[in-house]
Amino acid sequence: MKTMSILKYIIPVLIFFLLIFSGCKDDSNSLVVYTTVDQVFSEPVLKKFESLTGIKIKAVYDTEETKSTGVLNRLLAEKSNPQCDVFWSGDPMRTVVLENEGMLYPYISRSAKGINDEFKDKYHLWTGFSARARVLIYNKNLLKPEDIPQSIFDLVSEKYKGKVAIANPLFGTTTYHLAALFSVVGDERAKEFLKDLKNNKVVIATSNGDVKKRVIKAEVFCGLTDTDDAFEAIKEGENIGIVFLDRKGIGSLIIPNTVSLIKKKKISNNAKILMDFLLSKQTESELSYSCAQMPLHKGVKTAKNVPSLDKIKPMKIDYIATAKKLKGIQNYLKKWVEN
Amino acid sequence: MGRKLIKHPGYTIILVLYLFFVVFPVLNSIWLTVTNGHFIEIVKTVGQDTILLLLKSSGLSAIIAIISTLAGIVLGFIIYKTPVRFGKIFKITILLPLFISPYILAVAWKDLLLLFFDKIYGINSFFAIVLIHSTIYIPLSILIIGSALVNVSRESEESALMIAGFKKMFFRILLPLIKPAILTSLVLVFIFSISEFSVPAYFGVRVFTTEIFTQFSAFYNYNLAMLQSTLLIIICILLLLSERKYIADSPFLSISTRGKSTKIYDFKNLNRLGLLILIFSLLVMIILPLLELIYQSFEKGTGQFTKAFNLLLPTFENSLFLAFIGAISTLIIGFVAAYFSEVYRKKNLDSLILFVFAVPSIVLGIALIKFYNRPFLSGIYSGFGIIIIGYIAKYGFISAKLMGNAIKQIPSSLNEVAKIQGIGSIKRISFITIPLILPAIFASFIINFLFCLGDLGTTIIVYPPGAEIMPIKIFTIMANAPESLTGSMVLIVFLFTILIILILFIIFKKIVVFYNVDY
Repeated sequence: MKTMSILKYIIPVLIFFLLIFSGCKDDSNSLVVYTTVDQVFSEPVLKKFESLTGIKIKAVYDTEETKSTGVLNRLLAEKSNPQCDVFWSGDPMRTVVLENEGMLYPYISRSAKGINDEFKDKYHLWTGFSARARVLIYNKNLLKPEDIPQSIFDLVSEKYKGKVAIANPLFGTTTYHLAALFSVVGDERAKEFLKDLKNNKVVIATSNGDVKKRVIKAEVFCGLTDTDDAFEAIKEGENIGIVFLDRKGIGSLIIPNTVSLIKKKKISNNAKILMDFLLSKQTESELSYSCAQMPLHKGVKTAKNVPSLDKIKPMKIDYIATAKKLKGIQNYLKKWVEN
Repeated sequence: MGRKLIKHPGYTIILVLYLFFVVFPVLNSIWLTVTNGHFIEIVKTVGQDTILLLLKSSGLSAIIAIISTLAGIVLGFIIYKTPVRFGKIFKITILLPLFISPYILAVAWKDLLLLFFDKIYGINSFFAIVLIHSTIYIPLSILIIGSALVNVSRESEESALMIAGFKKMFFRILLPLIKPAILTSLVLVFIFSISEFSVPAYFGVRVFTTEIFTQFSAFYNYNLAMLQSTLLIIICILLLLSERKYIADSPFLSISTRGKSTKIYDFKNLNRLGLLILIFSLLVMIILPLLELIYQSFEKGTGQFTKAFNLLLPTFENSLFLAFIGAISTLIIGFVAAYFSEVYRKKNLDSLILFVFAVPSIVLGIALIKFYNRPFLSGIYSGFGIIIIGYIAKYGFISAKLMGNAIKQIPSSLNEVAKIQGIGSIKRISFITIPLILPAIFASFIINFLFCLGDLGTTIIVYPPGAEIMPIKIFTIMANAPESLTGSMVLIVFLFTILIILILFIIFKKIVVFYNVDY
């Protein structure tokens, strides 16, 4: 009876601690990777790395629902005791946030030799690879060839009133796109453009994926999105066309993926091996096939529909300066969205 | 034997564990916000705009709470108090929207409307949020109000009917008698609705939770987000406390009727109208969005369905394990809190559970990370322990509420007689309390099992790297996957949920036979 009464208190506590320590496993040959790149595209690359090296990858992916900010929030919350070894971001913007927080560790990867310096951090805290571009997708059933916008500034024309979609500029690559626009054309012109866009009843979608969906479903004529969403849109609906805007003007924004090591007490060698792998031509080639991303290395075998970066007029921006610019315009963008 | 140092050691251990593992991380987070040195500056940024937004969100949630509760009264009455055909089937099926993610329902509804209309004027508006949230929370209202309706004394209704017509009896007797349940429904739906962010975000409507989310995710301003969350927590706690004070000892939200037969109203030909109302509700709340998901899944053949199944297959084991442990843990915590609150008037644990329940998911997730991400607690942080703690924090309240109201209905004389006979507390709980509240235990287990199985809000922030968990997989795959694939995944989870409900129901029947209790 006495034993019973002791057991009745101890058993739940034991169960609880059993649960608690279920997380303590040997992790010597594994690597923790946080990525904001869509799981459908990033997971096959990480799986391939596992099969080639035998290094187990423990990944944390992001969700559409949290607008791909869940991973970054988690990284920031973990700042005092980082769990992540490698951060693979779909854009430089989030990486720069971590850089500003002093959370990155420098590494010069031998795989990144062929990548242009403009896609690398000067302190080697991150390196860019496989890029997307910001493009306009349009519904071929709704727009005649002569009516297809060729410049971002055409979107304020009366004929597109209420028929253009962009993703919420407070999140994701749209934020970066607008920050780049502010950097390139100056605050005054960028604000004037946004004001006109708003007056033209632009549809603010929740995400680039939502823009894609609205164009496919003919809810709007056209919308700004990234090339990976654009090529997915073509796969899903045959009525979709793509335009690289401002070929004769400011050019298209090129958004590279970035990879970086997270600063922690012990930097794992496996993390460097993964960085080398991600920055390799092989990975760039795979990403071109899976999600139409454009390699930053020269001479990479790509899918037929993937344009070469040489054929696109890139927007001339400094990625770090643009990230700083972003911070300065965020309040303006918030008000723009809300009003 | 002298006096015991601690009167209820079991309760004290659970209380201390709950304090340390669940409450302390939240308090720690609030403390860090208050003491960060910029608190006064942050408070100053909470201006008129924030208050107006809070009022706007409160108005929206109040509308949803009123609609859900009114629908809950009508549908609850038809299901529980009339001899409607297929009543038992409706009782289960009408609860299903509770277990589908609001975000998925929002996507399904919007796609559904787009199938029939080229342009959906006004869909990106309050109307859409009211529609989706009401769809999700009406089942909760039905559950609460239906349980109260079956507990109304048959004698009261029959005596009233002897001197007045049905209409008068309904408005003057029945409704006043279930007023506590109506109030609970209003408060709970209000809290659930005001804390939910994915649907307003999807429809582009600025509400208080989307503002908190924006501060977290666009501005990385944790302190302001935390302060705004604290405002939300205070409102929720005030509402819950006032509800608790108002309802006092009124019994409701229990599942069984303790052998009493409830009064059934046979309206003859009008029963068909009741059936039609139920079919219509089921159509709007579950069948239409489900049909849209089926359409999306199989529009281009069965290939995506197979792919979705293969993608989800590795998640089943972990998800079932986590949901099972989560449901058991919340059941234990809920039972202890409810039992000691009702029997011994010890309300500390019950109050703490209520406090944590009011914390928004994202705030809870960040609070857990900030507290547990330390070397000496890495066992919890890098394992499933942190997810279980998240479940306990979010769903303990439901267990405590369900079982508390069931325990309320047990005549105190039963326990007192057993005590006089010298029967110990464990035996009294095992052979008196548990058998008598078995349906509430079952309901609590199944509801929390399904909530844990589908939890996204907190799990997405804290899940261990590399862990395969069902809702996480769906939502991480959802970004950029074809809608046929995501539709298929949601459909599989839906079928999986129904299968689990059936299995648990069979197990419950066996337990009832084991206890030899007639329900």
